[in-house]
Amino acid sequence: MAQIETELQLLKAEVINMWTLVNGQLNKARLAFVNFDKDLAREVVLKEKRVNGYELKIDRDCENIFALFCPVAIDLRFLLAVLKINTNLERTGDIAEGIAKYVIEAEVPFSQQLLDVARILPMYEESVRMQEDTQEAFEKEDTILARGVFKKDEFLDEINRASHKVLERHIKEHPEDTAQALWILSTIRKLERVGDQAKNIAEEIIFYLEAKVLKHRNKFV
Amino acid sequence: MELRSVKYRIAKNYGFKALVMIFAFACVIPLLFILFFIVSKGITQINWHFLTRIPKPVGESGGGIANALVGSVLIVLMAVVIAIPIGILGGIYLSENKKGRLAYWSRLCTDVLQGVPSIVIGIVAYFWIVKPFGFSALSGSIALAIMMLPIVVRSTEETLKLLPSSLQEAGFALGMPFHRVIFKVIVPVGTSGILSGVMLAVARISGETAPLLFTALGNNYLSWNIFGTMHSLPKLIYDYSTSAYDEWKNLAWGASFVLLLWVLLLNLLTKLITRKWKVQL
Amino acid sequence: MESTIIKSRNFNASFGTNHVVKNVNIDIPRNKVIAVMGPSGCGKTTYLRCINRLHELIPGATSSGEMTINDENIYQMHPIFVRLKIGMVFQRPNPFPNLSIYDNVIAGYKLNGIKVPKAERDRIVEYSLTRVALWNEVKDSLNKKGSFLSGGQQQRLCIARAVAMEPEVLLFDEPTSALDPISTSTVEELFHELKTNYTLIIVTHNMQQAARVSDKTAFFYLGELVEYDETKIMFTNPKDSRTQNYITGRFS
Repeated sequence: MAQIETELQLLKAEVINMWTLVNGQLNKARLAFVNFDKDLAREVVLKEKRVNGYELKIDRDCENIFALFCPVAIDLRFLLAVLKINTNLERTGDIAEGIAKYVIEAEVPFSQQLLDVARILPMYEESVRMQEDTQEAFEKEDTILARGVFKKDEFLDEINRASHKVLERHIKEHPEDTAQALWILSTIRKLERVGDQAKNIAEEIIFYLEAKVLKHRNKFV
Repeated sequence: MELRSVKYRIAKNYGFKALVMIFAFACVIPLLFILFFIVSKGITQINWHFLTRIPKPVGESGGGIANALVGSVLIVLMAVVIAIPIGILGGIYLSENKKGRLAYWSRLCTDVLQGVPSIVIGIVAYFWIVKPFGFSALSGSIALAIMMLPIVVRSTEETLKLLPSSLQEAGFALGMPFHRVIFKVIVPVGTSGILSGVMLAVARISGETAPLLFTALGNNYLSWNIFGTMHSLPKLIYDYSTSAYDEWKNLAWGASFVLLLWVLLLNLLTKLITRKWKVQL
Repeated sequence: MESTIIKSRNFNASFGTNHVVKNVNIDIPRNKVIAVMGPSGCGKTTYLRCINRLHELIPGATSSGEMTINDENIYQMHPIFVRLKIGMVFQRPNPFPNLSIYDNVIAGYKLNGIKVPKAERDRIVEYSLTRVALWNEVKDSLNKKGSFLSGGQQQRLCIARAVAMEPEVLLFDEPTSALDPISTSTVEELFHELKTNYTLIIVTHNMQQAARVSDKTAFFYLGELVEYDETKIMFTNPKDSRTQNYITGRFS
């Protein structure tokens, strides 16, 4: 096997490890949030360091491969995609940490009615599924799976759009929930960004596999 | 490795080196003997008279080798004029055609010709040229030219074969036709090799006697007529060295010395030319 | 709109029974640098040597198909005229070792017996040496023998010799493979300048070189022209999987 092939496979394995970690972080933050488990939340905050460590390592590995092997064609596109995926995963990790920090700082568990009205839990679950789908698409080099992610993002957009009005109404009816409601709004924004990150990653996967650029375009290509 | 066996091998190495040097020296000894002999016997004969007078009849002193000297020069010159064009062109043909019927047979014939005894060539020249046309210096030159051919052909071929093919390709790529590539590119670069081949051939035939016995014969008088008989140094040496008369024997020694000097000078010239004209590829 | 200078249609070449160039169809555009790459033995050098008809000088070599320059059939022209229009530079620099630098540059005229007045000769030599960035280095030693130059300078001298004949096309057969990296980059710089006046076709083993210097690249494999496209596209998204495997080093 050519040396560059070995390097690229090692890099791919690293990215998948980072991905598994980040997805784990998201899930744990979700469980911490649902069960108001501060210990779990603290775990997430601690593990964030590892996510950053992965980001640095993957950046460095890409730099080395560029310098030493002058990759072209699909190898080149793979590396460019990995660089962007790397950044997106790191941001997703940040979001998971942010959610966990809220859980640690919150004084009382969240009102169930509020959670149901905002539909934050289904949104959270869907965003985690999106990340898992893109991970599988990356691992299996499956562009159909990657394309499926775009549709899922619509669901997240819809909840995000509705959240403003929904929460405004809830605050009027239950002023004592204001602080929590504001927090829920912020979290919904964060989850919407998680969905965006997953979408960006899907675009990069399709770029590297098919050399098609889907950025800034109508998505249904 | 064992120290003892290593020491043995080193000793064997020294012994072998010494043996090789002894044998190399042994090769030089005959030449030194010859030189010593001829120089000591012949150098006393050399003076202006010697070189410009023809031999006197028996009994009279004085006399020289003028006719033989002139004869040798003329005959060799003519042989060169005949052999060079044929030899060089033949060598060029062989270097360009490594395979092919004509090339194969040419090469074979040239190699065989190199081994034909000089006296046989002389006899053949006698039958083919002397019988119909009579004895002449020209027939002698033809015989000598035939002897020169294989050397010139082979050395030309080997010189040109050593030149890189990229040289030819450069010529063709510049739009040169074949004959120009050969004569303006290949031959100029191979000049030193070709020339040294020619000089070696000349040195070789300068002292050939046997062919001249049946063709140029000999001539007691100074002659410039190439269509008639002519004397030559080897013939003179052959005739006079076995004669009973001391004056003639002395002439033979002197002539030997001159011939030897001539061959040595030719070899020296070859070396100088090769060095000066050698093209650094 | 770029015009085409050299066209090949169903071009084949063989050494006896060994069919090394198979059915090549290619259009070479004017005033561009075309790189021809492929693994050893893929027929790229043979194809190049068919363009200026050097291939047929090898005993047993044959070719068939159409090859035109400016729509004139190369194989119906006299080979001498073909080679005056299409110059060639070889892998190992081969200046004539017995000629001076000056004589090397105008060798194409002098050795061909073409009479050129002295003033014109001087102009040609200066122009050609300037075009290959050698004039300033050798202008004071034009009478020295060409073999005293360094490898890179010798190769540039060979390019000057080809340029002096004012051809339309210059063929290069792995021109820098015998040179050190600095000489290589000096010669590569020349390619960018030379293409303003000539069309360059360069056979190279070095993919990075093909990527650096050429406008279009042709990929040969086992005698066939597998892919021929703009260099940028060849190296970011080639269409044929054989091309991709070659340039990513999956097989050499």
